[in-house]
Amino acid sequence: MTEDITIHKDVPCTFCGCLCDDIVVEVDGNHIIKNTNGCAISKERFLGHTENRCQQPTVDGKTTTLEKSIERAVKIIASSKRLLIYGLSSTENDAQREAYRLAELARAVVDNTTSVCHGPTILGAQESGEPTAGLAEVRNRSDLVIYWGANPAAAHPRHIPHYIRQPGEYIHDPKQDRKIWLVDIRATTTSRMADRFFRIEPGTDLDVLQTLRALIRGHKLDVEEVGGVNIVELEEIATAMKSAKYGVLFFGLGLTQSRGRHRNIDAAIRLIQDLNAYTKWNMLPMRGHYNVSGANKTSTWVTGYPYAVDFARGYPRYQPGEYTAVDMLARGEADALLNIAADPVAHFPRASVAHIKKIPVINIDPKINMTSTAAEVNIPAAIAGIECDGAATRMDGLPLYLRKVIEPPKGVIPDRDILRMIINSLKKEMKK
Amino acid sequence: MTEYLVLKNGTVFDPMNGIDGEVMDICISDGKIVEKGPSNAKVIDLKGSAVMPGGVDPHSHIIGSKLNVGRLTSPESNRHYPYPATNKTRSGVAGIIPSSFATGYLYNAMGYTTVIEPALPSVKALGAWEEIEDIPGLDIGLLPMFSNSMISFKYIQDDDLSGLAAYIAWTLKSVGGLGVKVVNPGGTYAWAYGKNVCGLEDAIPEWDITPRMIMTSISNAVAELGLPHQMHFHPTNLGKPGNIETTMQQLDALKVTKAKGKKKQTVHLTHMGFDCLSVVDGGMANWKDVASGGLRFAEYYNKNEHFSTDLGQITFGPSMTMTGDGPFQHSLYQMSGGKAKWSNLPVDVELPGGAGIVPFTFEPKSPANAVQWTGPLEFALSIKDLWRLFLSTDHPNGGPFLKYPLLISWLMSKKQRETWLEMVHKYAIERSTLSEIEREYTLNEIAITTRAAPAKILGMEKTKGHLGIGADADIAVYDFNPEKTDLAKNPDLILKYFTQTKFTFKGGQQVSKKGVVAKHLSSRVHSIHPELNEDLSQRIDRELEEMMGKWFSHSFSNYPVPMRYREHLEMPKIIDSTSVQA
Repeated sequence: MTEDITIHKDVPCTFCGCLCDDIVVEVDGNHIIKNTNGCAISKERFLGHTENRCQQPTVDGKTTTLEKSIERAVKIIASSKRLLIYGLSSTENDAQREAYRLAELARAVVDNTTSVCHGPTILGAQESGEPTAGLAEVRNRSDLVIYWGANPAAAHPRHIPHYIRQPGEYIHDPKQDRKIWLVDIRATTTSRMADRFFRIEPGTDLDVLQTLRALIRGHKLDVEEVGGVNIVELEEIATAMKSAKYGVLFFGLGLTQSRGRHRNIDAAIRLIQDLNAYTKWNMLPMRGHYNVSGANKTSTWVTGYPYAVDFARGYPRYQPGEYTAVDMLARGEADALLNIAADPVAHFPRASVAHIKKIPVINIDPKINMTSTAAEVNIPAAIAGIECDGAATRMDGLPLYLRKVIEPPKGVIPDRDILRMIINSLKKEMKK
Repeated sequence: MTEYLVLKNGTVFDPMNGIDGEVMDICISDGKIVEKGPSNAKVIDLKGSAVMPGGVDPHSHIIGSKLNVGRLTSPESNRHYPYPATNKTRSGVAGIIPSSFATGYLYNAMGYTTVIEPALPSVKALGAWEEIEDIPGLDIGLLPMFSNSMISFKYIQDDDLSGLAAYIAWTLKSVGGLGVKVVNPGGTYAWAYGKNVCGLEDAIPEWDITPRMIMTSISNAVAELGLPHQMHFHPTNLGKPGNIETTMQQLDALKVTKAKGKKKQTVHLTHMGFDCLSVVDGGMANWKDVASGGLRFAEYYNKNEHFSTDLGQITFGPSMTMTGDGPFQHSLYQMSGGKAKWSNLPVDVELPGGAGIVPFTFEPKSPANAVQWTGPLEFALSIKDLWRLFLSTDHPNGGPFLKYPLLISWLMSKKQRETWLEMVHKYAIERSTLSEIEREYTLNEIAITTRAAPAKILGMEKTKGHLGIGADADIAVYDFNPEKTDLAKNPDLILKYFTQTKFTFKGGQQVSKKGVVAKHLSSRVHSIHPELNEDLSQRIDRELEEMMGKWFSHSFSNYPVPMRYREHLEMPKIIDSTSVQA
């Protein structure tokens, strides 16, 4: 039986934005039997890829053929006036590119999951720019790494062990030569791994960031504490940041989605920019979905804008808050939803979900999720990076080629091919 | 069945073949220009139109993450410039940094058919190939950057020219590159330490090498490999008043490289407008004292034939500055008093300090900008040999490529220059000789500097930049009769005609008519694959696996761009570099 075993090396893991590409996947016949190097989540993603699958297309809850499901999907799209296309962050770039083509054809709105995760990061960068980081650079050079409002030990399990607690060209002993600090509102698994942990009061990120900016600029502040942190300790942080050789700030949703939102990010960016007058500092958002960075990238080169793009006028327009999925749904504006590789019913606010339940939904996903239950049409897709190839972008912008290590279930095709089928039938439908 | 197309009676400007405004027919078959077609060939009568080879732009940033950072951080720059979809073409935006589809269409509408992306971080090349899929209608080339890479540094420090050449060859093959880009050698690396370099002998942190060693080693390696395009060079001290001195020093230093083959040039100095700023007599090296370096640099250019150059013309109005020169971009941000949106984009191992992106508006009333504007024009109008020059705005740095017609109008029309000299700050007159220059470029000279010369500089002159037999049938037809239209007296007509061709043909296919693109053609990518001898090839595989394995954070095997993204686009040219010693 060992004759059938194939070993795939250097496979990128398609779970989180780390996109670790050192995974060794062993395949026996058409079963993945082993994932070496991956974190617990990665192992589960590869070994459990057959679990909870949407086996066959369904229309109105009844199983049907791929062709019939496409036919219904096209009917929904053709008869909608304000279609919303959403998701895209857990699929590969080609599927995203097809989604924009469809959006243009159907004069729809297309948004990716950025609008509910690091959207404020992009808004902050639109105010101030962004000095970003590269992961190998961090490993080779960084002597001070600060995580802010992020819990990589749980959400990006190999971020610390694979990229940070590793020796690099100029950091010989990652424990001695590189310090890891954490700023968060509560103790987490990450705080137990960090060299220092600063607990701040919830909702005070902006205050703390602005205080650090003031201290770094040499201002004396007549306060005893900010955000629950003693001013002496804050002064100590400011001094340490200024005297680091190469600092990096990784920030998570604790900063982007808490009180202040894009203003927090704006302040963080300005803090990092200020520090560059003294030494070297960079920053990077801890992107969650493995290809949410790719979704921003493809959307930006194709449409000019990273998310929240409306094609109603036959050309792309951008307006977060207006063309973002949550808002369009909460206002009751979308009259149909095409969801690809995301689960809005599980993650969106109640008002948005309530509207999803009122409109026809086409759901393209490998697995059965909460959105499947609300969908008129469910079309199963191959899992990118396991059952089909493609390209994706790591959180620091590095593009990687995803592998197909195993055949998808019979009759199941990649997202991009499903979208192409929809586009081709829609074109015929529109000519009628 | 082979289809023929005959373009009849156009007034042809084809300087590479010595044709300057002759009425003649051009025959096309299978995407190439052929001697003649059969009598039943399709005919388009171009009587009263000007015909030139398709435009060639060897320096325009149209691909890569730096553009996306610019678009993403400044959506306002594109908001008022929609590019609607049609039945045959895709939509997008057409502001300072057009989106990918619009980029291809807009270039085609202007009569350009070949564009080179001059700053590719190789490690991100996969993304570039994906983007090219969405940039239609062009022949494209990519120039990977080598001048701040730790791998280059290792070979340069070891005085191992073969190793350096082999690294370049390996990279060009692995990522599909056309040539070699050098950006602020050592300076961007130093930026990883918050530093920069300015002199040829400056120290580079952690390494026992100098900017001089980096630039000369790389230009030697390029010559050794026999690459068709000379080293594409962005010098140190970009954008600093007085940098004309250090630019000339660097060009002098590069004379050590001996040209191989017919071509005399071993270096292409890019965007000279940013590299050749002078200062007034007795002035200090600051913006207050800045003066045009155009005339002085023209004198240097006329005396020294080992290099070619392009203008990097600033065009006034909003632009987006983006270079692989991280410390320069930071200095722009500091000049804004910390108000500008400054982005920095480090690239693992290859560009540790990182590229920078800063939106910038060139103001006609700014004394510094007015002087900066005069430099490249004064230069272009004072040099003798136009075959070593091409027009550029260093898109989108000096302004978008959509401003080329304006640049052409400044060169072709003294009247146009006078109009603008009145609008801009008086320093343009006081600190340059521009107002005294009578010269006006002819159409033939425009054809040289936008087609023929750039094709030669790229080493693509066999198929690009001319209309002789065997050339690619990339053709721009302009809607004016050169014999009857006085463009110099009517600069508005220059803008009108050069913004939109009457027809643009790409590979013999008509892609646009009166500025409307009605055909979506996939682009092609030209690359150079230098063949190394067996020993050197084995050595470089082994050494790169070790270095990349140690320094990068992703797997060595995931570095090359997979053929699946390349094979349908790439036109690789294999060159024999086996003579490079192992």
